Amino acid sequence: MNIVQSGRMKAVASTILKDRFSWFLLPWIISGSSFVVNLITAYFANGEITTGGVASLYIYMFAAGIMSVSNTLPFLLGFSVRRSDYFWGTGGVIGLVGVICAAGLSLLSYVESEWLDGWGVGLYFFHLPYVSEGSVAVQFLVYFLLIVFLFYLGFLIACVAKRFGKNGMFILAIAVLAIGTVWSYVMTQQGWWIDLGQWLADRTMLEIAGGTAPLTLLYMALSYALLRRTSV
Amino acid sequence: MSAIVKVTNLTKSYGDTAAVRGVSFELEENKIYGLLGRNGAGKTTIMHMLTAQQFASGGDIEVFGEAPYENESVLRRVCFIKESQKYPPMFTVKDVLEVSASLHPNWDAAYAAELAEAFGLPMKRKMQKLSRGMLSAAGVVVGLASRAPLTIFDEPYLGLDAVARTLFYDRLLEDYAEHPRTVILSTHLIDEVSRLLEHVLLIDQGKLLLDRDVERLSGMAYSVVGAAARIDSFVSGKSLLTRDAMGAIASATVLGEASPQERREAAERGLEFAPVSLQQLIVHLTSGTKDEREAIKL
Repeated sequence: MNIVQSGRMKAVASTILKDRFSWFLLPWIISGSSFVVNLITAYFANGEITTGGVASLYIYMFAAGIMSVSNTLPFLLGFSVRRSDYFWGTGGVIGLVGVICAAGLSLLSYVESEWLDGWGVGLYFFHLPYVSEGSVAVQFLVYFLLIVFLFYLGFLIACVAKRFGKNGMFILAIAVLAIGTVWSYVMTQQGWWIDLGQWLADRTMLEIAGGTAPLTLLYMALSYALLRRTSV
Repeated sequence: MSAIVKVTNLTKSYGDTAAVRGVSFELEENKIYGLLGRNGAGKTTIMHMLTAQQFASGGDIEVFGEAPYENESVLRRVCFIKESQKYPPMFTVKDVLEVSASLHPNWDAAYAAELAEAFGLPMKRKMQKLSRGMLSAAGVVVGLASRAPLTIFDEPYLGLDAVARTLFYDRLLEDYAEHPRTVILSTHLIDEVSRLLEHVLLIDQGKLLLDRDVERLSGMAYSVVGAAARIDSFVSGKSLLTRDAMGAIASATVLGEASPQERREAAERGLEFAPVSLQQLIVHLTSGTKDEREAIKL
């Protein structure tokens, strides 16, 4: 790859990152406000509180994946940017944001469990049973993989919408619903739900998060293929 | 002169509707082209395909000798300013200029700042808060300051007042003289830009109707005014574009060039000749019903 090309990817990344607030602050404001509410609740409650409020950060990343396409793709394609540069430039951004978020979450999990032991009020917000098992490095990897996975799920959905419009989304929704219905029927019919639950329970969080990696790569490949055929 | 754009038999269809039908043309380096035609003629679609933002249904496009699709070396030499350009929600004018600087190798930041000032663009204002005219002005600034070897303006003047439009035309000519490049101007305000244009491409109903140097356009048609009966006898057998009558006086616009003998005869019969402006010519060529327009032979 020559310098000019990487320069254009950088231009894509810096275009996306112009909105610093949405990438670096908003995810923390959202999960932070959930944290504060829980902190107040924990202060007045008796006993420990373990909550999944941090999920809001992951949901935000899913939404960011959807929003990112409509916010920046039409602009950049209109400004003579290649689709592939758009794709990899976006990838660079989510890589960076993923690393920062995962590092922040790991740090907070460490502080919560090792230093402050539930922030003095018995609140477990960042250090959750099962999810936060393992060393800080393992946790970092788990958080990072989940963030990237959710971002690209949103990104893929937005690419389908961009490429195939409303009708495409409609067909996709019906297809997902139909497949889900059949799958769950077969699972019930065969009595496989228990087995699945058991199988999942035997996996560590790292194994589950690692399992999302091939899916993330699949979402990336599909969204790349869709972007290549997207017009403005 | 070398061709930097080569379009061969280009078509674009949406389902059963053909927006562009077998268009072929070449653009030479360092010339200002007018891409003219009515709304929905297919101009914007052609420009989107030239810049690989939309896909052709058929035909071939070469820009700087290569296919533009996903082609870095082509796209970084192209700047397409379009009326429908979208901007990220948080973007300010300053952000747009900064990103443009990183995308266009010939970008002149000082010139951009000077232009922004001349157009009265508020640098810190969000793009989405700009008026239509200011939005157009921002596009004009990017288009001029990019100094891209192929610069395309699609209806760049929407919402701009006459003063700002004149500023745009003057700056374009000035900068073009100093930094020659190929410019495509797609516009409805033909009279306003006719002094800028060197070559005209006229698109009508998805087809290329006219591909000619402006110098050679003036001889394409003429109008003649006089007593209605004499006009009728004069134009009979000629390729008539329009005929209007007001009482006993009629005027007719005729395609082609009148020979000196025809002019003499007409003058003897008290008929007066008048040149046809580019705008009048384009209007005559592209008005009327579908059949009437298709019957015109150039």
